[in-house]
Amino acid sequence: MFGVLARRLLSALPVLLIVSLISFGLMRLIPGDPAAAIAGIAATPAQIEQLRQDLGLDEPLWMQLVHYYEGLARGDLGRSLLLGKGVFAATMERLPVTIALSLYALVFTLIIGIASGIIAALKQNTWIDQAAMMFAMIGISVPNFFLGLLMIILFAVHLGWLPSGGYVPFSESPVGWLRSMTMPAFSLALLQAGLLARITRSSMLEVLRQDYIRTAKAKGLPQRRVILKHALANALIPIVTVVGIIVSLLLSGAVVTEALFSIPGMGQLLTQAVLNRDYPMVQGGLLLVTTFLVLVNITVDTLYAVLDPRVRHE
Amino acid sequence: MNRLLLASTFAATFALPALAAPFTCPSRGGDIVFGQEANVNSLDQMTSSTISTRNIAMNMYESLMTRDENNRPILELAESMEEAPDGLRYTFRLRQGVTFHNGKPLTSADVAASFNRYNRIGLQRSTLDNVAGWDTPDPRTFVIRMKQVQPTFIEALSSFSVPIVVIPSEHENDDRQQLRAVGTGPFRLLEFVPGSHARLGRYDGYSPNTAFEQRTGFGGYRVACVDTVTFRIVTEASARVAGLETGALQAVEDVPTRSLETLRRNSAITILPLQNWWIQIALPNTAHGPTANLAFRRAVQAALGMEDIMDAATDGNYRLNVGFQYPNQPSYTDAGRETYNINDPARARTLLRESGYRNEPIIILTNRDYPPMYNAALVMQQQMRAVGINANLRVVDWPTSVQMSQRVNSDEWHIFHSGWGTQPALGALATMQFLVAPGANYRPRDDKDDPDVLAAWNRMNNEREPAARQAAFADMQRLVLERAYAYPFGALTKVQAVRSNVQGYVPFRIPRFSNVWITR
Repeated sequence: MFGVLARRLLSALPVLLIVSLISFGLMRLIPGDPAAAIAGIAATPAQIEQLRQDLGLDEPLWMQLVHYYEGLARGDLGRSLLLGKGVFAATMERLPVTIALSLYALVFTLIIGIASGIIAALKQNTWIDQAAMMFAMIGISVPNFFLGLLMIILFAVHLGWLPSGGYVPFSESPVGWLRSMTMPAFSLALLQAGLLARITRSSMLEVLRQDYIRTAKAKGLPQRRVILKHALANALIPIVTVVGIIVSLLLSGAVVTEALFSIPGMGQLLTQAVLNRDYPMVQGGLLLVTTFLVLVNITVDTLYAVLDPRVRHE
Repeated sequence: MNRLLLASTFAATFALPALAAPFTCPSRGGDIVFGQEANVNSLDQMTSSTISTRNIAMNMYESLMTRDENNRPILELAESMEEAPDGLRYTFRLRQGVTFHNGKPLTSADVAASFNRYNRIGLQRSTLDNVAGWDTPDPRTFVIRMKQVQPTFIEALSSFSVPIVVIPSEHENDDRQQLRAVGTGPFRLLEFVPGSHARLGRYDGYSPNTAFEQRTGFGGYRVACVDTVTFRIVTEASARVAGLETGALQAVEDVPTRSLETLRRNSAITILPLQNWWIQIALPNTAHGPTANLAFRRAVQAALGMEDIMDAATDGNYRLNVGFQYPNQPSYTDAGRETYNINDPARARTLLRESGYRNEPIIILTNRDYPPMYNAALVMQQQMRAVGINANLRVVDWPTSVQMSQRVNSDEWHIFHSGWGTQPALGALATMQFLVAPGANYRPRDDKDDPDVLAAWNRMNNEREPAARQAAFADMQRLVLERAYAYPFGALTKVQAVRSNVQGYVPFRIPRFSNVWITR
């Protein structure tokens, strides 16, 4: 097990190297002047020029690349042009917010997706199955931005149950955090819940046709035990694979949700960084997010081994 | 010495007869949450030119001088300013009883430290290029020594674009964008979470400027009536409107036109148009292609119908406006008005023939980051096509369009769309710097100014008498319009809105929360 883990961690290094190179190159390929972006529309040409000099944006490209990798070797991700602070510090302020939002959304995704997938599989070809799959299709089809707006109108404007936006840190008020994150998490989750419901249904249908399920039923085991212990446990491998993908989708989907609900997360930070050509922030931020996703994938791989003894033995 | 008692002069000008006593809060307490459209990255006003930073920071910081309601210079932290007869020395006497948010009394050493920091990293530190130095003969006196006479120095010093805000001397060496948020304003910073919000609280030790009786512009007699003001970043317009409707936000900026009808029907909400937010404008590239030809540029000028362009750009929230200042400003002039809103296709075609135009593609450079610019470009394209110009849009994002427009002798574009907001509000001098090198927006070949325009600009800067400077501005505006170096379309109105229980809120270049109170 530890060998597997070590190999996976080592194989992640080239991935991070490639991501760092791609993000560096792509940012330089995008036209646009960081100084003009950061100075804003109110700036005069003279102010923009002053800022360009202050930020040291006139260095040759190769020198910027050397400085970038020198910094990485020292564990320094650089300094955000926009925020004037270290990229790592800025990311660490925002990443936990996005991770918390994504995990909360994941809870919704798992509850809605797995439950409706199991029910649809058990009630195959009935109206319940069709209703569940229609719900899944709606979830997949409706953009979370649009869903978020509808939820704001319903739950904030008309019913007044939840705030229309803003973020309350958990440390400040757990109830406030729940209230501020519920709508964003739900709108983010629905798309992925639809996907998970369809995967769970098909995986469960396949397992439910297996001989050992028939045997379990013939033995007279209670329905709940047959489904939860024998069927679901064996259907979990594809579900776990999809959940790993869903975590990365939730993280990337958070960009739009954070903007809509005014949540100061990583999505907003990176969007602003891209729009403002904040090279160090984009490079460093992407590297840290990639590291996180790599860790999620390693966790998923490890979970395979936990769930399926055959993988352990291999 | 020629004593300029700016404070008392302007206080008298703006004192309202019915309100002879200084402003007092009709009620105190309460919290206001303001929905702000743009992200704030730093509250360091010395190193930021962004409107979003200014929105918040100008409620916290103060300068020696600022601008009044009509953008005229007024004293803020100084109680008097004397200009030496030779124009080479300005002596400021500081107001008594002013303290920083940390309780420390303001002295001239703090002002000197603020100038030192600004001179080191201030984004507009060219303001101090002609300053030989500054002295602090005593704790209440601050003296600026000039290298040469600069009649416009006070105008530049009082600019709110990137103001020289006064900070405690111990913060002089704070890094760029890392300035500790301690000012002398009516509100102090309680919390700042970039990307989320900034929360300000009333500074109980604030000493209002008793030379005035009311708030005016960025200064005047200011009092914080509410306990806190939270600037919440809500970039999505629909979310801002929803927040206002639910009462989660008490005030918002940039209300979309599509929501106005609904909001007007809501008695709990007051709509507040902020006129003259910016001048919608397009500028030709005179270094290259048909737009280097005066007859062609005039043909374009003759083809333009400003009502249609402004209507599309602003969803109907505009006023037609000649030139580069607004009618409410002291330096407004309609010089060159005959070039504005001609909308005469026949004349445009005649000028086009005179120019020798041969159907070369004309590239209109615009962006989608600012929808008014994109929409204005669309209508302009159609109006140009209607007279036989092969006009095409090139749509990029704002940073790219600025980068492209600033390249010397660029052949990538012919007409660049922009919006001038802060500079026209600051006055003629600030605005017309867009039209001189370096980086003159009409992009003359090799960045060499039109000598007539440059001569007018020099007179604007160097004439000793204000009337002569104003005449020079009128000449410069006329020249720029007659030579079609700019196509100013009109003035855009930005719509703000507040909950009806928010009183005293008057839209301005920033959301001002002093002298604003909440009725119970």
